[in-house]
Amino acid sequence: MSIEAINEQLLRAIGVGVALLDTSELKFRFFNDTFKEWFAEIETGQQLRDVFPDIDTAEVIRALQETGQFTSEASFRIRRRMMTIAMTINPALEGNQKVAVLVCQNISRIKELESMIDSYSMMVERNTREIKREKEQVEKLLLNMMPRSVYEEYKTFGVVTPRTYENVAVLCLDFSGFSATVEQQDAGVIVSELNDIYTAFDRIGDQFGCERIKTVGDLYITVAGMPDPSDRSIQSVSDAAVRFVRYLENRNKSHPVDWNCRIGLAAGSVIGSVVGVQKYIYDVFGPAVADAMRLREAAGAMEIVAAADFAERFGEAHETEAAGSGALADGTAVELVRVLSGNGSLSH
Amino acid sequence: MAQQQSMFDKYGGFSVVSKIVLDLYERLLDDDDLGPFFDDVEFARIVDHQTKFVSSVMGGPASYTDVQIQKLHSHLPISDAHFDKLALMLTQVLQDHGVEDEDAQEVVGAFAQRRGLVVND
Repeated sequence: MSIEAINEQLLRAIGVGVALLDTSELKFRFFNDTFKEWFAEIETGQQLRDVFPDIDTAEVIRALQETGQFTSEASFRIRRRMMTIAMTINPALEGNQKVAVLVCQNISRIKELESMIDSYSMMVERNTREIKREKEQVEKLLLNMMPRSVYEEYKTFGVVTPRTYENVAVLCLDFSGFSATVEQQDAGVIVSELNDIYTAFDRIGDQFGCERIKTVGDLYITVAGMPDPSDRSIQSVSDAAVRFVRYLENRNKSHPVDWNCRIGLAAGSVIGSVVGVQKYIYDVFGPAVADAMRLREAAGAMEIVAAADFAERFGEAHETEAAGSGALADGTAVELVRVLSGNGSLSH
Repeated sequence: MAQQQSMFDKYGGFSVVSKIVLDLYERLLDDDDLGPFFDDVEFARIVDHQTKFVSSVMGGPASYTDVQIQKLHSHLPISDAHFDKLALMLTQVLQDHGVEDEDAQEVVGAFAQRRGLVVND
């Protein structure tokens, strides 16, 4: 068998569609078996545009003359399947005649895969956005339960190491006559009122550098000076306490349910930690919290009570008046003072 | 408690599911009864839809609602015989790709559950 014959056989057998065109009119002079398989109706002597109606033949001739190559893609249907081919036309010489070689590669599967990859990337992106949104919601919830620095520790290590914080100021608040109010009002009203009031307290506390730790029914605890130490922690809780009373006084004027708070202020060390495994909560406890709780009990309606030495530490910022003697949580006797809210409503 | 691995993860995720689905459609297109349903359908699109559907059936991402499935088939005169043949071909393809019998039955079962949404004729 001659080399030419072998070449022709090879050309016929390969999985690439090959055809020869004369360059003057772009007429088919030869095509291999694969090409014939794709374009069953093809005959020699037909023109390129008979097989590829979308191809601009003038553009093909121009490209062959100017750049020596023409490339394009074409899609067509073969027995229910959409097929896409990538075609390249290169000029070649056969004796004295100018011919061009048309090579067609079947890229249908590549196109299908490309479109699937696009579709999956979009789906993955959508899922990622949803996960991000859920993560943000979880973060928001957790930040509602613990200070950001504690949350960061929890996120990084999965645990929060209990720590003792010195010089933390604590504000404990509850409402006098709370049980009676609960009995008189609808449960929904109570929850909505408390939600409203606690939201306002959170906002006020935040303004003065306090961090709300928890609410248990009508008990509201906020602290200053933790997790980051502050020289102004006593000032912060005292300022917040005075604003809480003023806020309630103003609120009571325009709302049907009267809320009268009792506030105890104290300072000292506290322990902060995430407590619980399944239903974890960030909690603070320790001497300062116990003292603030005890002193709150010594307060009457709309009164803020603190130990005299605590009051000395916020200086002239708020007026005080003597409130007799009392005891801290550990039984230590102390002189008590009322911190006046300055609204002229604390007369006794 | 260790979470049970989904079929989707067990068999190798999207890359494997898409091969199964591609193979299924190659066979469907060659079938004289079922092939004509795909005459006017873009192959890449339908393989994409079906891969996502099979993935979700196998416990992977993406999901299809019954309304979507009904809409996609509402214009086609699909009979019970067509559906039975599809179920047969699907079972064969799953087996050929090494899906265990029990898992294959679950996938085919998920198709069978939606027979009412697909059969119109």
